[in-house]
Amino acid sequence: MATLSATDIAVTFDSFQALKGVSLSVEAGQFVTLLGPSGCGKTTLLNVIAGFQSPTRGRVEIAGKDVTQLSPERRDTAMCFQSYALFPHLNVAGNIAFGPRQKRHGRDAIAARVADLIRQLGLSGHAEKLPNALSGGQQQRVALARALAVAPGIVLFDEPLSNLDAKLRDQVRAEIRALQREIGFTALYVTHDQSEALALSDEVLLLNRGVIEQQGAPRDIYFNPRTRFAADFIGAANIHDGPLRGGRMRTPFGPLPAPGPDAEAATVCWRPEMAMTEGPLSGRVTAVAFQGGWTDVTVQEGGQSLRLQLPGQAKPDVGEVLTFGLDPRHVTRLEAA
Amino acid sequence: MPKALKVSLLLLPGPGLVAVVLAMVLYRAFAQSFGLYNFGGDDLLTLAHWQELLGNRRFWSALRWSAYIATTSALLSVALAYPLALWLRRPFRGSLVLSALIKAPYFVPGLVAAFLLINVISYHGFVNEALVSLGIWDAPKRLQNDRQGYAVIGLQVWKQLPMAFLLLSGAVASIPDPVLHAARDLGAGTMARFRKVVLPLTAKAMQAALILIFIGAAGDFSFQSVAGPMRQNSMATLMVQLQGASFNDWNGAAVVAVALMVLSLAGALVLTALVQLASRLAARIS
Repeated sequence: MATLSATDIAVTFDSFQALKGVSLSVEAGQFVTLLGPSGCGKTTLLNVIAGFQSPTRGRVEIAGKDVTQLSPERRDTAMCFQSYALFPHLNVAGNIAFGPRQKRHGRDAIAARVADLIRQLGLSGHAEKLPNALSGGQQQRVALARALAVAPGIVLFDEPLSNLDAKLRDQVRAEIRALQREIGFTALYVTHDQSEALALSDEVLLLNRGVIEQQGAPRDIYFNPRTRFAADFIGAANIHDGPLRGGRMRTPFGPLPAPGPDAEAATVCWRPEMAMTEGPLSGRVTAVAFQGGWTDVTVQEGGQSLRLQLPGQAKPDVGEVLTFGLDPRHVTRLEAA
Repeated sequence: MPKALKVSLLLLPGPGLVAVVLAMVLYRAFAQSFGLYNFGGDDLLTLAHWQELLGNRRFWSALRWSAYIATTSALLSVALAYPLALWLRRPFRGSLVLSALIKAPYFVPGLVAAFLLINVISYHGFVNEALVSLGIWDAPKRLQNDRQGYAVIGLQVWKQLPMAFLLLSGAVASIPDPVLHAARDLGAGTMARFRKVVLPLTAKAMQAALILIFIGAAGDFSFQSVAGPMRQNSMATLMVQLQGASFNDWNGAAVVAVALMVLSLAGALVLTALVQLASRLAARIS
């Protein structure tokens, strides 16, 4: 387990600034996720930390040691790639043993390590198979075992689950988290999937256009988004703009309870699942989608629409006027754009 | 009509024609080496032509020479093509021009290349004149038709490098970046990545390049006759000499032709075995 610190990392490709002075700090044993849309710079940041990309400026430290100028093979990191990147000519055991062999561990130590990881990752019976004889989930486990085999200070994950189907993704996600807790490695995980980030992480760094938009614990980011982008990107959000006076914002749906001082132009947001079935707000139902545990309802008023998540038993009809309410504690004031 | 028969009939005009022509030539060469189709006398099935050639020192010398030139040229071409293919694996400014330059020898006929080389290295050629005028050499030296065959090997490598480069660059480019990154990430340096990842994953292309260059160089006539040592025959020059230049020995030439084919086949088999052995050994060395 190692600490990781990146300070003022900037990367420029020709005239495009992929990263604009990003700083982050990861404690030993922490699971931190870089979350953001495509092109936000999260994979570039991961590549800078792994050593595949030289930063235009900035400094990377692993376990307190400056590694900015070190080549990837000399850094105490191991990466799990989106495409798994298994060596197609080596079997499962050969793939897992690749790193320890490079680090010149003893033959017996390598054999024991490989056997341990094969057992831990549920790959027993597959040791002699080539990667192309494995399923996507098994390949991902081999990639993880291969990374863990060198006992790296930090394991870097580059969207490792994006090639798996939804069910397998949930399963492998849980396995990664369980392994991280069991073995205790420091993890930096890149994803564009907000549910993955919320489920896995001790801390989430939300990236947008080469800068960190917000950073914090998953619950904190979800319930207290700071910016319009953060509110919109992580989960569903209803966002209102307008003047705010006396703790209320006037909206076509009625007076919305809103925190913070009065302002001529304010932005607030709230999560659809926070809507209560009773209250002073109302809107005409335009769509209803039963989701099992809950019902997604779209209401419209004055040319604006909102999304509400009501309990699964709720059965509003399209066209009816639905009344609903909000607890002021569940409405968040966003930074002005 | 059974599907297999239908497919065979459809393939007949293409591969069929090639097979027929190849079989005709092979049969003719084999038959002639055993005394049939004798242009200089009566047809007679005999081992005499084989016995005569196998007892001739010039034949063995030519065989050894062709094997030496072919092996050295194949190994050198591939050894030079690998770093070029790796260097030009991902495009960069000017890489297209470099790539085109490497392939340029493909468009120069072998005989022209040999002629140009002789011009450059002849007694009063560019190299001699330049080195003498720079004071490096006191007097011009004889560089052409050298005994070691360096000129022939140089020409072979120059001529065959594009093929090795084409085959290897395709194979090298097909290795996904993440696979090489993964090796690097797990601690493999440049040489370890080459031995443990690049070499095993491109072994088939390397094998194909080695075999094709070996066969081409083993049967070379033009480079040997223009730039090769004066008193040394290659299999091809010996064959032509026996057939036409001096002895009109068609059957002897056929024996050389068959021996050349056997040399090509043996070379291909040995190189295949070598490549497989090398990739296994390379992967084992930690």
